[in-house]
Amino acid sequence: MNQSYYNGFNSRKRKQEYKTDLPVMITPEVKEPGSILSSLSAYIFKPWHGFVILFFCMVSSSIAFGVDDNAKSSIAEVLWRWMPLLLKGFIFNIVISICAMAIGTAAGAALGLGQISLNKWVRRVSWFITQFFRNSPWLVLLFFAMFLLPFEINIGGLAIPLPDWVKAIIGLSLPVMANVSEIVRGAVVSLPSGQWEAAESLAYTRRQTLWLIILPQCVKRMLPPWMNLYAILTMATVLASIVGVSEVMTLTGQALAAEGGRTDLLAPFYSFVLLIFFMYCYPIARWTVRLEKKFSVIG
Amino acid sequence: MIKPILSKLVSASVLCAIAMSSQVAQADAIDDIKKSGVLKVAVKADYKPYGFRDPSGAIIGIEPELAKDVADRLGVKVEYVPVVSSNRMQFLEQGKVDLMIATMTDKPDRRKVVSIVDPNYYSSGTNILAPAKYGFKKWEDLKGKPVCGIQGAFYNKKTGKEYGAQIVAFKGTAEAYAALKGGNCVAFVYDDSAIVAKTKDPAWEGYEMPLKTIDDAPWGLAVKLGETKFHELMSDQIKSWHKSGRILELEKKWGVENTPFALKMHEEYK
Repeated sequence: MNQSYYNGFNSRKRKQEYKTDLPVMITPEVKEPGSILSSLSAYIFKPWHGFVILFFCMVSSSIAFGVDDNAKSSIAEVLWRWMPLLLKGFIFNIVISICAMAIGTAAGAALGLGQISLNKWVRRVSWFITQFFRNSPWLVLLFFAMFLLPFEINIGGLAIPLPDWVKAIIGLSLPVMANVSEIVRGAVVSLPSGQWEAAESLAYTRRQTLWLIILPQCVKRMLPPWMNLYAILTMATVLASIVGVSEVMTLTGQALAAEGGRTDLLAPFYSFVLLIFFMYCYPIARWTVRLEKKFSVIG
Repeated sequence: MIKPILSKLVSASVLCAIAMSSQVAQADAIDDIKKSGVLKVAVKADYKPYGFRDPSGAIIGIEPELAKDVADRLGVKVEYVPVVSSNRMQFLEQGKVDLMIATMTDKPDRRKVVSIVDPNYYSSGTNILAPAKYGFKKWEDLKGKPVCGIQGAFYNKKTGKEYGAQIVAFKGTAEAYAALKGGNCVAFVYDDSAIVAKTKDPAWEGYEMPLKTIDDAPWGLAVKLGETKFHELMSDQIKSWHKSGRILELEKKWGVENTPFALKMHEEYK
């Protein structure tokens, strides 16, 4: 990521078109404007992908229709009947994702600043925590949070219940925290050192430099990867179904069971879940690409 | 630079505190339930007709109705907590629920973890649903073949260990049925009462329940270990269910044929 930021920085010079033969003055060719991230998400999400998925959903449901011809109307009808419950479950997924993102961002920002601290030990500990949680499977962290945290906390005789979904939020916010920490560190490091030097020459303290000069510039660099992380987190919230939170995946399974395990409903129901996630995450991805382009250094 | 250290310390200590403060004050369960006015019952939400959801999201079925009876007796409201086979005993141990009526088979090793109430309220056996073309005659025929099952069901182990079948465990019944139809496994090992219903379903023509039912095992509802008063109350409650024929009535209401066990218990306690 850093590399590409520098590339973006360099390419501004390219626009000024130096007339020179000296190899030192010629800036290297930059293939793709914007960061790796934007080109990646532009590669993953294109508008026609939406149609492909829609098509896939329709085909899969029509295959199901083909299996049971006389149940044709009832599949749509059954799905319609369960839709309010499934959407309610999906809202729960969104709540989990937003809360986990909020907690993860707050903790991750602190951890990321810890990673660039001048104190050797703060730096090392932050680095360790970041690497530890960044390289652990999300599901394992979720299991940890589920089974290590009690269902109720007693603080001075006051029992605060800790329901499953709160535990899921805590469990999911750990990897988010580590990823945000890396995003923050990466953004700060990616800024040209001239910014630090200039601030120092103006007699800013380190703290002032960080808060008044460095971090404001980092925000827009961090925004696209941060939003990408959010989209990934949203899609990961279905993991909570494995630990028994009543979110959309769990409810889908239960709805299917309540319909007596009809095999022809399987594809339409899961396609529906796929579709609502896509409809929520796809605009975020597109928006991320737009922000990336807007914030990229090339005018 | 104090800030990051502080925030890390705070988050770490909060986590520790959360982990340590899990001790819950012990008191009599019945008093606690009456004080809070809510009876929390662990029930299945994916096991038709014993416990499943209606489209509004409410949990209904035979077991939720039994739980409602208990709540009515205590004069409190009932709250259903959906559980799955793999977490139901933990929920009771942790005190997240007061009572568990969740299609759990009564097993000696489970009696060490939770307090299963006598007499048993229900019973079912294990059998398989398989295409008739395979012509299974005995359980040993399943040896080395993939057999679908449900995650956390006790009979997976038996089918796998004793009869040598390869268990492919699924999250829910719909997935397992689909896998069976798709040919991912040669049979689906499940409760016999559910399989009998399937073999009568026209969508499952050509499928049979070919084997002898094994493990006709009673189901146990359970309370937390050490809750003797609540245990006694539940024991009395189960007797009164058998006496009044409530279970037979519920079976009829939810479309299950009266099981031999429920009939026998009704005779016994009448």
